[in-house]
Amino acid sequence: MTDWTRRQIGGLVGGALLGVAAPHIARGQGRPRVIVIGGGIGGATVARYLADLKSIDVTLVEPNSTHVTCFFSNLYLAGLRSLASLTFGLETLAERHGITIIRDSAVAIDPAGKGVELQGGPKLSYDRLVVAPGIAFKFGEIGGYDEAAAKIMPHAWIAGPQSELLRRQLKSMDDGGVFVIAAPPNPFRCPPAPYERASLVAYYFKQFKPKSKILILDAKDTFSGQELFQDAWSRHYPGMIEWLPSQFTGAIKAVDVAARSVVTEGETFRAAVANIIPAQKAGLIGEKAGLTDASGWCPVDPVTFESTLQPGIHVVGDSIIGGDMPKSAFSANSQAKACAFAVAASLTGSPHFPPHLFNSCYTFLAPDDAFTNALTFASEGGKIKTVKMFISKVGESAEARRRTAHHAVGWYSAFTADVFGGGS
Amino acid sequence: MQLVRKAATVSRAKGLAAEIRWLLGVSLSAILLFPGNSAAEDGSQGAQIAATCASCHDPAGRGQAIPPIVGMDEQGIVKAMLAFRASESPSLVMHAVALSLTDGELAAMARYLTGKANAGWQP
Ligand SMILES: Cc1cc2nc3c(=O)[nH]c(=O)nc-3n(C[C@H](O)[C@H](O)[C@H](O)COP(=O)(O)OP(=O)(O)OC[C@H]3O[C@@H](n4cnc5c(N)ncnc54)[C@H](O)[C@@H]3O)c2cc1C
Repeated sequence: MTDWTRRQIGGLVGGALLGVAAPHIARGQGRPRVIVIGGGIGGATVARYLADLKSIDVTLVEPNSTHVTCFFSNLYLAGLRSLASLTFGLETLAERHGITIIRDSAVAIDPAGKGVELQGGPKLSYDRLVVAPGIAFKFGEIGGYDEAAAKIMPHAWIAGPQSELLRRQLKSMDDGGVFVIAAPPNPFRCPPAPYERASLVAYYFKQFKPKSKILILDAKDTFSGQELFQDAWSRHYPGMIEWLPSQFTGAIKAVDVAARSVVTEGETFRAAVANIIPAQKAGLIGEKAGLTDASGWCPVDPVTFESTLQPGIHVVGDSIIGGDMPKSAFSANSQAKACAFAVAASLTGSPHFPPHLFNSCYTFLAPDDAFTNALTFASEGGKIKTVKMFISKVGESAEARRRTAHHAVGWYSAFTADVFGGGS
Repeated sequence: MQLVRKAATVSRAKGLAAEIRWLLGVSLSAILLFPGNSAAEDGSQGAQIAATCASCHDPAGRGQAIPPIVGMDEQGIVKAMLAFRASESPSLVMHAVALSLTDGELAAMARYLTGKANAGWQP
């Protein structure tokens, strides 16, 4: 974090105090100005693609100095990647792509006045706004589980300190303990990821704590990639992972943090380590700004990603109601590109073509056994609909799975360069 | 190639040229010297489609696990994409992508990528 702090417009922040009469920060020399809220996967991609068009002034608002990718964080939990290798600064976006980075949180949006209020004080004005705040948790749906409880029973569903906490707990757990994963109801960030987590932690246990067990208490009765996971669990980790669907348990009702236990309708489970992944909703600024509907997520136009509730404001990534598109980094990146070209078209009259929306995820079952899926989407009747879907099959050769795991590693480095502005 | 171009079109071409510079590692000046070449002209559609490629293919062409697409010729790209369209066996992802592009879009994307590469990309 050396150089990009230089670009955190400290002077401007100091000069423009918040208030009704305070002037908005001046727009850059006649170029249209886009503000992007959230420097995660969706927001960084939008900012980068818009800035590279050179005709638009782009400001990215993000409170954290670095982004730790959720994807591959299950490899970290299993001791297969360092957290540092999953951490990206935003400096390349500033230095190579000319994006102004403001390290702050957006606390309010004024759609009529086209302004964004920051926690640090100033108000920024925009011609178009893109909001990409990721997810927030519906604390309270599981009795006793709140932000304080998450410091003892981590969710590790936003990578960073939460991932480190869970890793520490897994490392210090005695052999023979039960690791409980509470898997959330739909829709949630990255549908296969709770089960990838079970697989990779099982890989870790198999080596270091072979008497340990993993219990998945699910809020659902089926899950993404189920056949592939269950096949892998019986091949790699026989007897180690137990999955209990909601129809058996009535799902999780409460946690008892002091007793380290998880309470379902009929039973209480003692956990050596508990990973509670709560139900989710759009990042909080979405709700505050009137971008969410009753579902808790943000409805958008499937071509431009403009909010259907607040014209002039676009939303991409996990926060949206994505129709058939899963909440994944790949989806967020794909939506962000479509959004960037649509925003550019609306501001500069550049041409706009029907977007191609894709998702492709790599999921690890073991370090050398991964599966993949590939989906294409199109807009239909105002919704994003799946056009084609392909997924790895049970019974593929070990060699094919090894190749997929190898591709996953290649994908990770290319993808993060695309998002955070690496490459040449 | 039209001889007279509107300023807006030229500046758009410059913007897109800049955009693709990172994608392929090409020299920007080579593109700006020839703003009327076919790559820049159809770049807008080609660029928007080619943006998709960068989600998996390293812009610097360093890909090993996922092969680089930098420096492939136009026919080579079209041929490869048609092969991916026909069969899902080498890559599910490329099969899906190839199926979703029309012949016209595929041609625009290939022309765009090679146009940029020819304009100055050095292996
Ligand atoms: C364990 C796990 C594994 C996963 N594996 C994969 C995978 O293999 N492949 C895949 O494609 N996806 C995967 N995902 C999903 C992927 O990480 C998310 O879908 C992706 O990060 C969504 O991008 P986003 O931009 O919507 O949100 P984020 O990347 O979370 O970014 C949101 C950003 O907004 C910022 N923000 C929030 N509020 C404000 C505010 N008010 N002001 C300013 N900034 C704000 C936050 O600080 C954050 O940086 C995985 C997720 C998990 C949890």
